[in-house]
Amino acid sequence: MNTAFPFPLAGRPVPFSPGRLGIVAGNTFLEAVRQKLFNFLLLLAVALVASAQLFREFNFGSSELKFISDFGFGAMVFFGSTLTIAATAQLFFSEIENRTALTILAKPIWRTEFIFGKFLGVFAVVGVFCALTTLLLLALLYQRETALMNANPEAFEHGRIIHYGDLVLMGVLQWLKFGVLAAITLLIASFSNTNLYTVVMGFFVLVICHLQYLARDAYGQVASLPLRLLVRMLGYVFPNFQVFNLADQIGIGEGIDPGIFLRVAGYALIYIAVIGGLAVYSFRNREI
Amino acid sequence: MKFNLSALRPLWTGLLVVTVLAVTGAAIRPFEDPAWQFVRAKQPALKLDSLQGALGQGVTVGLLGGFRAIVADFFWIKTNSVWEDNDLPATQTFIKLVTAIDPRPLYFWQNGARMIAYDMPNWRIVKEGGYDAVPQARQRHIDEEQSEVALKYLREAFGHHPNSALLHIEIANVYLNRLKDNVSAAEAYRKAAALPSAPYYAARIYAELLRRQGRHQEAYAWLKQLYPTLPQVADPAKGITEFQVQSAMAPVVLDRIREVEAELKVPENKRFRP
Repeated sequence: MNTAFPFPLAGRPVPFSPGRLGIVAGNTFLEAVRQKLFNFLLLLAVALVASAQLFREFNFGSSELKFISDFGFGAMVFFGSTLTIAATAQLFFSEIENRTALTILAKPIWRTEFIFGKFLGVFAVVGVFCALTTLLLLALLYQRETALMNANPEAFEHGRIIHYGDLVLMGVLQWLKFGVLAAITLLIASFSNTNLYTVVMGFFVLVICHLQYLARDAYGQVASLPLRLLVRMLGYVFPNFQVFNLADQIGIGEGIDPGIFLRVAGYALIYIAVIGGLAVYSFRNREI
Repeated sequence: MKFNLSALRPLWTGLLVVTVLAVTGAAIRPFEDPAWQFVRAKQPALKLDSLQGALGQGVTVGLLGGFRAIVADFFWIKTNSVWEDNDLPATQTFIKLVTAIDPRPLYFWQNGARMIAYDMPNWRIVKEGGYDAVPQARQRHIDEEQSEVALKYLREAFGHHPNSALLHIEIANVYLNRLKDNVSAAEAYRKAAALPSAPYYAARIYAELLRRQGRHQEAYAWLKQLYPTLPQVADPAKGITEFQVQSAMAPVVLDRIREVEAELKVPENKRFRP
């Protein structure tokens, strides 16, 4: 069945409705938070962030606050990526496998509304995840920094080292990165036949997006012209996830430039729109 | 047999997706570039050169964001484990791996270089039969080889810590203690002393090395220039702590000035007056 545009009985297409999109998103969100996977990953991430203090004995090089900040964001990135890929694939394929997609798309609802509804639902779930882990990290760093300030006031004569506002900005950037990842997973799911294939491909793309800058670096060092063009093409096709990695400045007393933050946020939103659009296009051509 | 064009639809869809992504990537590059340059400037680890040869050995996990510090720390524990077994190839590999994953802590560079320059020659000599069996010339050759590896490694660290006085001091120590090269050691101490983060002893040792080379006049000029810059009384208002005063060792520097004056036979009326 191909229902690219919804036609009610009168034969004219119904206009795009943010309300219907909101209903799909809301249902997706509710379905996601009821899943054991979400709760399990959230608990793991929270436990890991909270245990950052226990691991500080392993810290050989950087300062303790920097270590806790790195560790917290590491847990957020690791479990957040897992949650984004797994939840997106599972929520999409549950509709296909349970045949509920047929029921939904038989009604006057655009496939665009369906895809972007799914996206927004997952994006909201990941938003809750990022908010909780960021808040926990904030509390942990604040508590530890206060203890260090009391123990060693000379080291903090210029005030607190951590820029707590920037921690929140980093949480937002991670959320946007997961948004791009969710859009990519939806794009893969739009043409894939199985949940497993989507999850595996999602993880591959995640690694490629983190390491694509190496292809950009290697571009200048490749002698063969066709290979060089291929490497350059790869650098263009995949978004650069390292650009979201501004957390290095946190914990060493350096802030995040607001201009850079806005640029990276804009970069993510552009990719979400483009990849989401491609997912819609691909899904419209899919036989359900 | 009729050719079914619709069978090619997935191929066209795939091509279109790749083309749109490539065009988007190319179009968005000027917008992304300033942010990427900023991130890169702040994270020297994100360089192809520093990762070559180490990719796929845990670096990928580290580069996936965030976990770099803890992955490097775990590999540092592993480094110490193979170091205890005097396993030279494994130790050298892990030392490189740790700084490839997280080049930010100076601790890794300093201690890695010390393992290479001070411990590994010992392991190699023991493996070749021990200090009694291995000829002095061969021992010297091994020392030089390992020192070269350590110096190369430390110079690589400047890519990540360009203004680190402690790296210059580490280099100076290798020249001084392993290669017995006073000239190169003095030069490295001079470079360290010129940096704002330099410990006070760097300037003192530079002067001593000048004296050892017989360059008393230069040592005298250096010490006379150094002495007025040293803190002699703790002053919290100026941010001078007791520890700084003790580390600066101004009385010792003054003693050295007097010694050099005696060596140079400086007349009483032309002697340095603090």
